[in-house]
Amino acid sequence: MNILVLYAHPVETSYTAGLHEMIVERLRAAGHLVDDCDLYAEDFDPRLSRQERLAYHDTRSQGDPADPYVQRLLKADALVLSFPVWNYGYPAILKGFFDRVFLPGVSFKLVDGKVRPSLHNIRKVATVTTYGGSRFRAMLMGDPPRKIVKRMLRATVKPGAPVTYLAHYSMNLSTDVSRERFSAKVAARMDAF
Amino acid sequence: MRWLVVYCHPVPESFCAGLRDVAIEVLNRRGEDVRLVDLYAEGFDPVMGCEERRAYNDRAPGDPALAPHIENLKWAEAILFVYPTWWYGLPAMLKGWLDRVWAMDVAFRLPDEGKRIVSLMPHVQRIGVVTTCGAPWWWSVVIGQPGRRTILRGMRALCAWRCRTFYLAHYDMDRSTAESRAAFLDKLKRRLEKF
Repeated sequence: MNILVLYAHPVETSYTAGLHEMIVERLRAAGHLVDDCDLYAEDFDPRLSRQERLAYHDTRSQGDPADPYVQRLLKADALVLSFPVWNYGYPAILKGFFDRVFLPGVSFKLVDGKVRPSLHNIRKVATVTTYGGSRFRAMLMGDPPRKIVKRMLRATVKPGAPVTYLAHYSMNLSTDVSRERFSAKVAARMDAF
Repeated sequence: MRWLVVYCHPVPESFCAGLRDVAIEVLNRRGEDVRLVDLYAEGFDPVMGCEERRAYNDRAPGDPALAPHIENLKWAEAILFVYPTWWYGLPAMLKGWLDRVWAMDVAFRLPDEGKRIVSLMPHVQRIGVVTTCGAPWWWSVVIGQPGRRTILRGMRALCAWRCRTFYLAHYDMDRSTAESRAAFLDKLKRRLEKF
């Protein structure tokens, strides 16, 4: 499979960075073609600009600044997201990927003002993330990132495509044991991707 | 009351800009103290960098570009967010503002291990959200309104215990009409006058 890995963490020595490295390694070992998109390393600008907003509903040309990312997204058969949850949401750099790259004609079509999801090249989605707070606290807040993935992303990709969401909660209280256990879980999922 | 209006839209002539102007007009008429933050106009950088993230759990961010934002946050007794909902959530620009400004020793403190985080924003007693959504209301509810929850639950948890909130959204924006938009502006006016 062609797998696009979207990775968003600024610190190379972080636990998330370690997970990301392992994800890419395991997927490649399993014979997948991995496009490793490290948004920080690529210095991705998450701000949808005035020009982009004004041209939002137009057909984009190849010179468009978001076009290389659009092509990478359309080439993929599967999507793996690797990021930390900050303030019950994506880091801005990853949120901006959705704002700027999930465009009309790419991930959806507008028919009479109604959205028709169309990112049907994506047949599988996996998310690997970490929360500072507990699962209980995240639930009290409505767990927005989980909903975004399990509902919005699921509704956007090919109907029926499996969507997994692996999260290590309570990172602020995590131990070597809890992190190892979570890493093992992620590794097993990636081996069987 | 001291109102901080946080506005985030890349197009100066957008409907959101109209919402911002109406909101400020009502607040001024009520005699409130108003400050406006226009994230796109000032070219705010929403990306938290490596050093800032490394120090995140230890101390307040030191980037001088954040200083006026931190001062605003300490000053505000009420915060009004005006932004378009994109992909059911906040624009990256606004999300980055929350991530970088609502930081350690500004909005909260992490006490010793195992204890709950301590809020440093009890002075914020009101939060309002004014937004536009491409999706219809029912579909936004099915998705779970992540943007609404991020602000009204996640960020509100760091504010006053009895912090009052409101959320106004113009749904189905791609099929909006001059009438629906005018009605929404009117609704915002009435809501803010009473809030």
